[in-house]
Amino acid sequence: MAGMQFGIFSVGDVTPDPLTGVAPSEVERIRAMVTIAKKAEEVGLDVFATGEHHNPPFVPSSPTTLLGYIAGQTERLILSTSTTLITTNDPVKIAEDFSMLQHLAGGRVDLMLGRGNTGPVYPWFGQDIRDAIPLTVEHYGLLRRLWREKVVDWSGKYRTPLQGFTLAPQPLDGVPPFVWHGSIRTPEVAEIAAYYGDGFFANHIFWPPSHTRRMVQLYRERFEHYGHGSGDQAIVGLGGHVFMRPNSQDAVAEFRPYFDNAPVYGHGPSLEEFAAQTPLTVGSPQQVIDRTLGFRNYAGDYQRQFFLLDHAGLPLKTVLEQLDLLGEQVIPVLRKEFQVGRSQHVPDAPTHESLVRTKTAGRNPQKSRPADRGNSHDQVDSHQWRIAPAFLDSIVG
Amino acid sequence: MIELRPLGHAIIDAMLTGLANAELEFAFETVANADGLIAVTPAFNVSYSGLFKSFFDVLPQETLYDMPVLIAATGGTERHSLVLEHALRPMFSYLHAIVAPTGVYAATNDFGAHGGSVGLAERISKAANDFARLLRACGNRTRRDAFTEDLTEMQRLLTAASKPSEDATVED
Repeated sequence: MAGMQFGIFSVGDVTPDPLTGVAPSEVERIRAMVTIAKKAEEVGLDVFATGEHHNPPFVPSSPTTLLGYIAGQTERLILSTSTTLITTNDPVKIAEDFSMLQHLAGGRVDLMLGRGNTGPVYPWFGQDIRDAIPLTVEHYGLLRRLWREKVVDWSGKYRTPLQGFTLAPQPLDGVPPFVWHGSIRTPEVAEIAAYYGDGFFANHIFWPPSHTRRMVQLYRERFEHYGHGSGDQAIVGLGGHVFMRPNSQDAVAEFRPYFDNAPVYGHGPSLEEFAAQTPLTVGSPQQVIDRTLGFRNYAGDYQRQFFLLDHAGLPLKTVLEQLDLLGEQVIPVLRKEFQVGRSQHVPDAPTHESLVRTKTAGRNPQKSRPADRGNSHDQVDSHQWRIAPAFLDSIVG
Repeated sequence: MIELRPLGHAIIDAMLTGLANAELEFAFETVANADGLIAVTPAFNVSYSGLFKSFFDVLPQETLYDMPVLIAATGGTERHSLVLEHALRPMFSYLHAIVAPTGVYAATNDFGAHGGSVGLAERISKAANDFARLLRACGNRTRRDAFTEDLTEMQRLLTAASKPSEDATVED
């Protein structure tokens, strides 16, 4: 799995098929997500990520339960999230859940953090959306410590203090899961990702390339500013959004009713307008390949490409056919082509194995990261890197 | 000059999806880079037109901050002229624009066949002179950038969060 990772991210929406008016039941949708994840492994994809939602019409309220179940039925697939809500979840519970999942999945776990933009959800978990930004900073600061320090004393504004807390189970091999920070539109996310030297995932699919270019560029600049390496060594992921048939006209005709009625962008711009303004590609596998390879022109060499396939009421059968096309015709070409001209010092996508390797390969303490400078006892985090393998050391923490 | 009618579809699409197409984005940029704005709407049902309001609903936040604005409206009769004071002025005040004290309202009488437009021309001249004075007084405008402002706040929070704590207990 050297170089880039390719995967799918699912919102987990229960949407009626516009052709039949029939929506799957919750159990059908949940089981479909499992089937889709297993299919993703079968066709050679690297990652499956699920959203987290706490209100209808969405089903995945408990991502690590879903991912743990999928982990038990897969061998190779990395299980991730898109996104895990850092605001409304207790950081202690996030640390526990993902630590546990790491052990069960043999390390095939990472996660993407997000704020959550649904105001009413916050009070269901004792929080307030007006505090979303400081809440994110405080919760994530604690989460990092829980995964990196054996005994944690902590106090903050948004949860009760911790006195002599030890996480159980400890992260697998002493290596926390890699963290991505996912952003749809806000630059703060790029800043926090850069500050900690974490991955930055641009949702990408609802925005023109100019917006994504600006966000990724900002992240790379700030990553370098905070001393994690050069900008082109920052860890970038992008969303993508495709519908394919061997014949592109067939793809457009089949996808149009789903596009026109989709919950997010339906009843708005036409499919053609949306496809021109955003990364949405509806057409042949070759068109998807060409479009996706073009992302590099404005994002630079990057590490992870996700595709959104199961949404808007598309039948499971259709989604599985999309996965076949993706796995057979698109991903093998993308894997090869993205390597062409890729600079040697651009890191591969981080995996548990790579993080463990870097951790055990020895450390070269040079200077601590700004985030952890305040903590003179923290030997684990005090590393700096200039070349790709050493770069990952700091993430290992 | 930005005509809203050709942007009608784009404005509604932006409202539904949050995505502004290139033409609408260009209009946003034009407004954002202006030193002042003259905003004109027909009076519909005791207020500005829905299209006029929709444009400002999708215009990125902070765009009109500190911007001198001259408000103007047209209507079937001068009995609706207070639409300027009761609808346009509060909205632009809310958006933190600097609204010129003198607005322009033009009714059917002003366009009538009996030379009524002389009054309108005078009112336009007076409003224009007032607006020019306001623009000069306000001087060069610094464009606010929500993108950068959000970032500054995040940097402050992150730095504050990583201040050395007195009682850090860490074991590896």
